[in-house]
Amino acid sequence: MAIAHGEKLLKYLEENGKANSLKLSELWNEDHQKIVGTVKSLLCLGDVIEAELHSTVKWDLTEEGKQVAAHGSHEAQIYNAIPPSGSTQPEIMAQASIPNASFTKDMAKVGFSKAMSLGWIAVDKSSGAPKFIQKVSSIQDVVQEHLKDLATGKNTLTNELRTEVVKSYEMKPGSSFSTSVTKQETDLTPEMIASGSWKTKEFKAYNLNALGTPVPRGHLHPLMKVRAEFRQIFLEMGFTEMPTNNYVESSFWNFDALFQPQQHPARDAHDTFFLADPATASDIPTDYMERVKNVHSHGGYGSQGYGYDWKVEEAQKNLLRTHTTAVSARMLYALAQGGFKPAKYFSIDRVFRNETLDATHLAEFHQIEGVIADYGLTLGNLIGVLYEFFRKLGIEKLRFKPAYNPYTEPSMEIFSYHPGLKKWVEIGNSGIFRPEMLLPMGLPEDVSVLAWGLSLERPTMIKYGYDNIRDLVGPKVNMQMVADNPLCRLDKHRGTEIKEPEYLQELDIRMDSIMTRLRGIENEVNKLKKQGKGSQEKLTLVIEADPNYPPLSVQTLIRILMASRNVPVSVTIHQHSSLKKACSTDLMQWAKSTTSNLNRIDNLFNLTWIWKSIGPRPAAKVVNHCNGDICGEAAVARLLARLLESWTDCAFYENYDLNTTAEIDDWLDMWESCIQSGDPTFVVLANRINNRLNSSDGRKWLIGSFPGTKSLADVFLSTLLGHKLNSDRAKEWLSRCNSF
Amino acid sequence: MPTISINRDLLFNALGKSYSEEEFDELCFKFGIELDEVTSDKLIILKEQGTERSVGASEEIIYKIDIPANRYDLLCLEGLVQGLQVFLGETEFPPFKLIPSQKVPQRLIVKSSTSSIRPYAVAAVLRNICFDQHTFNSFIDLQDKLHQNLCRKRSLVAIGTHDLDTVQGPFYYEALPPDSIKFQPLNQTKEFTASKLMDLYATDSHLRHYLPIIKDSPVYPVIKDSNGVVLSMPPIINGEHSKITLNTKNVFIECTATDLTKASIVLDTLVCMFSRYCQDQFTVEICEIETPQGGIKNYPILKTRQEKIDVNKINKMVGINEEADKVADLLTRMCLTATVAENGCLSVTIPPTRHDIIHACDVYEDVAIAFGYNNIEKTLPSTNTIASQFPLNKLTDQLREQLAQAGFTEALTFSLCSKEDISDKLRKPLSSIPAVHVSNPKTLEFQVARSTLLPGLLKTIAANRKLPLPLKFFEVSDVVLKDNQRDVGARNCRKLCIVYYNKSPGFELVHGLLDRLMQLLEIPLDPTGTTGYSLKSCDDATFFPGRCAHVVFEGVTVGVLGVLHPEVVTSFDLNLPCSALELNVEPFL
Repeated sequence: MAIAHGEKLLKYLEENGKANSLKLSELWNEDHQKIVGTVKSLLCLGDVIEAELHSTVKWDLTEEGKQVAAHGSHEAQIYNAIPPSGSTQPEIMAQASIPNASFTKDMAKVGFSKAMSLGWIAVDKSSGAPKFIQKVSSIQDVVQEHLKDLATGKNTLTNELRTEVVKSYEMKPGSSFSTSVTKQETDLTPEMIASGSWKTKEFKAYNLNALGTPVPRGHLHPLMKVRAEFRQIFLEMGFTEMPTNNYVESSFWNFDALFQPQQHPARDAHDTFFLADPATASDIPTDYMERVKNVHSHGGYGSQGYGYDWKVEEAQKNLLRTHTTAVSARMLYALAQGGFKPAKYFSIDRVFRNETLDATHLAEFHQIEGVIADYGLTLGNLIGVLYEFFRKLGIEKLRFKPAYNPYTEPSMEIFSYHPGLKKWVEIGNSGIFRPEMLLPMGLPEDVSVLAWGLSLERPTMIKYGYDNIRDLVGPKVNMQMVADNPLCRLDKHRGTEIKEPEYLQELDIRMDSIMTRLRGIENEVNKLKKQGKGSQEKLTLVIEADPNYPPLSVQTLIRILMASRNVPVSVTIHQHSSLKKACSTDLMQWAKSTTSNLNRIDNLFNLTWIWKSIGPRPAAKVVNHCNGDICGEAAVARLLARLLESWTDCAFYENYDLNTTAEIDDWLDMWESCIQSGDPTFVVLANRINNRLNSSDGRKWLIGSFPGTKSLADVFLSTLLGHKLNSDRAKEWLSRCNSF
Repeated sequence: MPTISINRDLLFNALGKSYSEEEFDELCFKFGIELDEVTSDKLIILKEQGTERSVGASEEIIYKIDIPANRYDLLCLEGLVQGLQVFLGETEFPPFKLIPSQKVPQRLIVKSSTSSIRPYAVAAVLRNICFDQHTFNSFIDLQDKLHQNLCRKRSLVAIGTHDLDTVQGPFYYEALPPDSIKFQPLNQTKEFTASKLMDLYATDSHLRHYLPIIKDSPVYPVIKDSNGVVLSMPPIINGEHSKITLNTKNVFIECTATDLTKASIVLDTLVCMFSRYCQDQFTVEICEIETPQGGIKNYPILKTRQEKIDVNKINKMVGINEEADKVADLLTRMCLTATVAENGCLSVTIPPTRHDIIHACDVYEDVAIAFGYNNIEKTLPSTNTIASQFPLNKLTDQLREQLAQAGFTEALTFSLCSKEDISDKLRKPLSSIPAVHVSNPKTLEFQVARSTLLPGLLKTIAANRKLPLPLKFFEVSDVVLKDNQRDVGARNCRKLCIVYYNKSPGFELVHGLLDRLMQLLEIPLDPTGTTGYSLKSCDDATFFPGRCAHVVFEGVTVGVLGVLHPEVVTSFDLNLPCSALELNVEPFL
């Protein structure tokens, strides 16, 4: 079908040299969309034709408009319905709806009032009940005429219309124009192979720039991928996996066996999930329990003990294990019972803490634990093993900090150097189990047990860049994340972790902070704009500035703001205790004269000005909005300019069109870059201002086409650099700025 | 881990040396404490109350330092400075001395009535002490830190300090009915009965936390002097009468307790830290405690212990090779004054400030710290072992791989959930489920350990409804079931669960995946249900009637599959058909 049309179209093109889809649709009395379809299919054939898309706006009458074109405007219909003797309103309306059944009451109302205001009809109250009469003998219904024009294609009016955008193609023959079309095949088919027709067919080229179809596939969870990697590392190092499939544990194995005293804070209900059902454990090995009780309450095995009354009831309380070390304790006890042999154990499994939840803490998480039991192990051994273990994770730099843990002595917190954060971060805990834990189990006296633990979630969050643990674990996880997650290769640093040259990172950080501030400012301005003048929210601004570098432009802008008198303003000026010497009265009172008489709560705009030794870059902060500080004189000036615009509706900065705003920004940026590049003399910038003002057109302001228009750039630069300018034109400009 | 706030300038002044922040951080790290935060009153107020309130607040730098939970001797400026100076070798650890009273010793008589509520009391006197504002504040702060940590929020031990010159011994510690105790408590202007005090402090942000320790007891503990003046009502509040001030010269310290060992440690710690401000430095005056049985015991104990420690063992445990005298030096720097004794042993003096040293291994650790953890040579243990995997985990991982290869995506959901999740929402009565119940959940989400993986997966679907259909998720993980065959009365059970969520139920897909799993496990289909696996139609409230079957393996039901009941679907905020399979993995090991 499309091809048949296509050939017709191509013939037309051959004869006429060009074609327009709309015209063809009229000519062939064919739906325009069909013609467009044909054009598109021809375009797919390569360079047979060239086509250009045009959008034209077409005016079309609405239903109401059509009525008016047919029957006259509402007022004319009312006029025409009034008999020479006049009539009452309901009668007229009834009369009007005879020629035009769809003439509604609302239209009639419009018709009456319009006809009255045009002086076509009048009310006659002389005969009691008010009657409408024709006031003029004839009328000219301009509205109807215009609409009739439109309906026939003359575009003279804009009201009463609906617009319709019509897209059409303008076509001409392409470089490989031909009037006969062979359809290109999209793909090879079994029939073509069987019949051999593929030899003569043309095949459509693939678009190799598009993405392929996603492959249906399943995925493993990222946390489990990291778990697999850790598991692999332990196995490579000869560690045997412990059976940790017992979430419910007794206090005995979770705490008492580990020489954790019964009053220890970790055994508080605030930190541990205890069980209501099954509430207690039984079958704790009696003689072992007796030894544990003794070592807690009286000591032994070379220990002083904790000297308290150990209670079996406390040990029997069931809980959800708070660490997998409970399993390690069971394993070591079993090891002692069966005749000790050196062992290396590991586990990675869930543990539970009754903690307050936040972005990095959940009530359950995975603990990774490694244990080595052998004769004569040393702290040096533990350090050595930890280096090897973490090296397999791609972490080379380690450092150990003394720490306290009830069941290990010595205890060490493991820190690694984080190149991204540029600091040492804690990555795990380690130590040698206390003799008070091991000896009651029946392990030989010269056996030491090294152990270390870390969480699985934390390295995973760091590896894949998660801020919130709920994005990683739990039912709220976005499964698309699981699908998109890359392989876990802990010893490879790629993707997000790739090291950039430092200057790039610094640029990034600067860019980020600028973008954050911009977003903050944008939010503020949007808020202010939305509020309008009538319903402004109170705004409190704190500006900190250094008395050695008074931000003159900011002060000028505040004076202008206050002088605009559109909002009640109060300004309070403080000096910060960090100042070495007190501020002069001038500094402390610079804005006093313009302060309104209202007290703070009534003011819509409260400004707190603090003189503080913060150097040449003043800072502004909008109180009660969590955006960061706005730093630097230019940035603060921009903020104030926006405030001024939102309060007075004048064009000063962003109320100008985009180009003008950009020009203003350029001038402010030039000033900023002078500051940053250490050109404190501003020679270049001053020259530019002079040149601009001295240009042949003799402009009045820096911005806009001749003679320019006053803006933030003028106020800002004249206050800051006025004293450096001495051409006559510049002096005139300065006085203009001052009177602004 | 307790955190103490120390004024930096006072600290450096006491240390006799200034450090840069990095230097001090480094020193802390080596010593085993942590410079947690550098702040000031002003910054704290700024953070908590905003810019305006902070104007005028002090900008003196405050160091917040984390102290290990067993080092009670470092919880105040005095102790920290002493510890660091000895560590740096700049000063020697002082000898503490008990001295008898010059007249009659102060006596605290413990009545038997206290046995039901708070049976122990100990006491000591610091004579001719001289406070200034800073040391006075530090004295109060240390009591607070001890109360919060070692004293377990006053439940184990409560400290009272009094101006000895305002009261007259001997003192009586007894327990009386609340209405018969009446006194003017600290910082109040009139007298209250003990019962009234409980009402008064019920809204006190600080004290209300301690009320439950005695509130429901028929008798409350109280200490009075020989004239009946109330010194304190432990563990709640002291009396106004005996309040200590900057001008107090003689301090009477009493500690009441439910744990005598801890009371003695608290008393030792307090007197050791502040006896330095006595005219006769580092001396403490003995008090007599008369027990209900009539015996007399002297406090504080202030015991200095001598231990013989084998240098060879130290070297072996730490993994270093140091001469005895060098090791002795290392220990001396940790406030454990040591001298070389015969037979390769050290004689180590454990002062009354180091109650954390309860075993030789604690001494080994201090050697290692003084030597420097990061100076110890890294070595690898020669332990030679053959690794093996936990068989259930190995099988689990193999099955997970296969499920992912079959196009299902792994979810990871919580082991804890609400009662509703495993019962009502699955259309089953809670009583029929052998679930493990948590006694102290902070929220509804932690009421029970899950007995099935299904709710977690359905919640995962609910959170991912915007993804293109079909949604195909799985989880292989543990559920927890009550089991009285186990010592703890419960066991884990490894389950495999898959869900298929689409516009049509897709029962056949889930069924097909079960067949595939069985094929992988080399288990044949056997409709007779005795050797291989088979499906047996069943009724299960969670599933749509007639669309549900048990998976039977060697005659035993090991799982269930079917189309979920529409009410189950909607109770998880879903609106499309969903098929599920849940299988016990353990029988296939």
